[in-house]
Amino acid sequence: MNKSKSGIVKVQQAVNKLGAWFIVIILSIVLSIISKNFLTLNNVINVVRQVSVTAIVGLGVSFVVLGGEIDLSTGMMATFAGTNAALLTTKQDMNTWLAILIAILIGGLIGCFSGVVVTYLKVPSFITTLAMQYVINGLILLTTKSMPVTGIPDNFVMLGRGYIGNVFPVPVLIMLVLFAIGAFVLKYTIFGRSVLAVGEKPEVARLSGISVNKTRVLMFIVCGVCAAAAGIVMTGRLNSGQPTSGQDLALEALAAVYIGGTFSGSMLNTLAGALTWGIMNNGLNILGVGPHWQKIILGFVIIAAVLLDIARTRISAKQSASAA
Amino acid sequence: MGTDYILELNGIEKSFPGVKALSNIDVKFEKGVVHGLVGENGAGKSTLMKVLSGAYLPDSGTINFDGELVDIHKPSDAERLGIAIIYQELNLLNKMTVAENIYIGRSPKKAGFISWKEMMRASQEILDEFHIDIAVDAVLGNLSIAEQQIIEIVKAISKNAKLVIMDEPTSSLTEAEIKIMFEMIEKMRKNHVTVIYISHKFEEIFEICDTINIMRDGEFIGQYPVGDISRDEMIEKMIGRKLVRQFPERDPDIGDVILEVDGLCDFDNKVHEVSFELRAGEILGISGLVGAGRTELLELLFGASKKKSGKIIIDGEEVNIKSPKDAIEHRIGFVTENRKEEGLLLSSSVAMNVAVANFRRLAKFGFYVNLNKINDVAEEYVDLLSVKTPSVAQPIRFLSGGNQQKVIIARWLYSDSRILLLDEPTRGIDVGAKKEIYDLINELSHEGKAVILVSSELEEIIGMSDRAIVMSEGSIAGEVDKADFSQHLLTDYALRGRAKN
Repeated sequence: MNKSKSGIVKVQQAVNKLGAWFIVIILSIVLSIISKNFLTLNNVINVVRQVSVTAIVGLGVSFVVLGGEIDLSTGMMATFAGTNAALLTTKQDMNTWLAILIAILIGGLIGCFSGVVVTYLKVPSFITTLAMQYVINGLILLTTKSMPVTGIPDNFVMLGRGYIGNVFPVPVLIMLVLFAIGAFVLKYTIFGRSVLAVGEKPEVARLSGISVNKTRVLMFIVCGVCAAAAGIVMTGRLNSGQPTSGQDLALEALAAVYIGGTFSGSMLNTLAGALTWGIMNNGLNILGVGPHWQKIILGFVIIAAVLLDIARTRISAKQSASAA
Repeated sequence: MGTDYILELNGIEKSFPGVKALSNIDVKFEKGVVHGLVGENGAGKSTLMKVLSGAYLPDSGTINFDGELVDIHKPSDAERLGIAIIYQELNLLNKMTVAENIYIGRSPKKAGFISWKEMMRASQEILDEFHIDIAVDAVLGNLSIAEQQIIEIVKAISKNAKLVIMDEPTSSLTEAEIKIMFEMIEKMRKNHVTVIYISHKFEEIFEICDTINIMRDGEFIGQYPVGDISRDEMIEKMIGRKLVRQFPERDPDIGDVILEVDGLCDFDNKVHEVSFELRAGEILGISGLVGAGRTELLELLFGASKKKSGKIIIDGEEVNIKSPKDAIEHRIGFVTENRKEEGLLLSSSVAMNVAVANFRRLAKFGFYVNLNKINDVAEEYVDLLSVKTPSVAQPIRFLSGGNQQKVIIARWLYSDSRILLLDEPTRGIDVGAKKEIYDLINELSHEGKAVILVSSELEEIIGMSDRAIVMSEGSIAGEVDKADFSQHLLTDYALRGRAKN
């Protein structure tokens, strides 16, 4: 009796630790049982490659969400960075790396602008970034004259389509490196810890000597930079700067963050959230579910995932309470 | 109907895994009088209230309400019977009018649409009945907290509440507002509404209640007419042992002046021309009524609000404290009055709550925070201050008030504060845990820390401080040396400033 009880507790604790990775594992198992085509090296790499752009955006968004705010403009920031870099390399013949650097800096600047409006002018972030989305969309259409920017250099394309040793996709590598950095920043830096404190209770953070304003602006800058980086990868994959390419990206990234339940404080949850999204997409494709039904199902997946996270937190809260 | 008792509890029991929250509660509450209910945190008061409100079902026992055996399975059962509970957090809508709040969810209708006219009239009628001078069309958010609480009570009574249970209703009220609340309780008594009044403020219990009901460790200790029990007897029954001296023996070792404040004013006129000195090893009490500007003074010293004029001098040099960050660099620590809102990251771990003011200290190369070190440091302080927690990874919301407070003190000790600003440091803390906090403050002063202790409890000021200043309406109304300490003198100063205006 006692033994089985502690066994249940152990399972619960393990599930608790896994968080959104639990969903990833369950989904993978279910899909590999249903279809032989799921668990193949090619398909797995394909899934990870497909989610890399969303995941990188989600990485940045995680900081903003953890800090108690939201950013709806990341899709446009990503697109803008992509078209900017594409324009600079094609129309100005600029060196690819310099063009990318400039595009990412512009991403950071836009994030900084949103951050300042939210922090100092006290416009809620939902509204600020909703508005910024339109501003950036306009800038994209102005700069590209609403035409795709084609003819980008090979080393640019490689960032989205390349493989290392013919197996490992470059965008996945970029994603992993950025997540390693992001996870480190969140866990091991003053900025990361301050984001968590500000997100939980700004007043406590302020009275603890944390610069709440600086932290807020900085998290929007980080978000802008990540979105821009994702936009570069996306542009490489599309082989051109597409003015309409990032339209669903902002919401997909937010979905990844919420499915991952990043609020519990680890950046890798966002990666799991993005993977859940990607696996669902891929699985539904393999099963031959039509694109319209896919959207409906994916919508409910978000709700289900968040419900699961709520249940999980409740159980762990109960356990902690009885331990006290 | 033929009973003198509104509520009779017979053998009520309630257990949770590992805890007996209520054991064999037998008590009768007489109709139309005010019953005070006291007990330490965890004594079972809240559980009992939850049983009466239908939030918990008792494991055994029966409840008689107004002479009839009743079952309370859900909150709507309690409401139907006429049991209303007024919680500290009000269940009202700030943007709606008084009338709407009273009739929310049951607005009078005419042809299926809300009849505003009837709603206003009916609300006015109830307010008139209790001689309450609040406009029915006033927007609730514009009323004072006391007025809002009164509206909540009126709402309950308009639903025919016969028993109103009030859970620490005065904890956030000013002196003047408390008076209004007491008048409301008097009116309820006159209208034969029974009140159960839960409070940690013993003076209030003795002032307003007819009986005193004591709970301890889930048991009902007894019901006493208010004249038959002394304050000390009551506390002894609450804590279950003889009342020992609460405050530590002070043997102060007072050093040089660390902090000088000269003519400090803020922008809201809450603090006006305040000047004083504070020495190393000294505990300076700041007394005064709620709203006298004590908290605002501490916020100015800590850089949490902007000063308009005046000087803050530390170690003989004028310092410019513009933010809490600057204050922490000048080795000032601030234990805020409102632990949950301003002190704690409730869902975060004990370790994070110790570390939060110290990220810079914990960082290598100016940015790298070593999590292991955070845990080590937190463990060290948990041992040092004997904080009761299963581990430093425990979310702090599961700790008791006293232990939470120790963690906040640990935060400032780790940031090497030598000036500690303590704002009501024992608020909402058990009698037993209070003593531990007092001992801790005493020890810290012996280590040379300079302490400013703001408290509304005169006993605490008298028992702990080496010297006290009394604030009134933003200014210092008087300074009292330890030799001259008396409740009478401190109250006199606190009220005198008010009389001047």
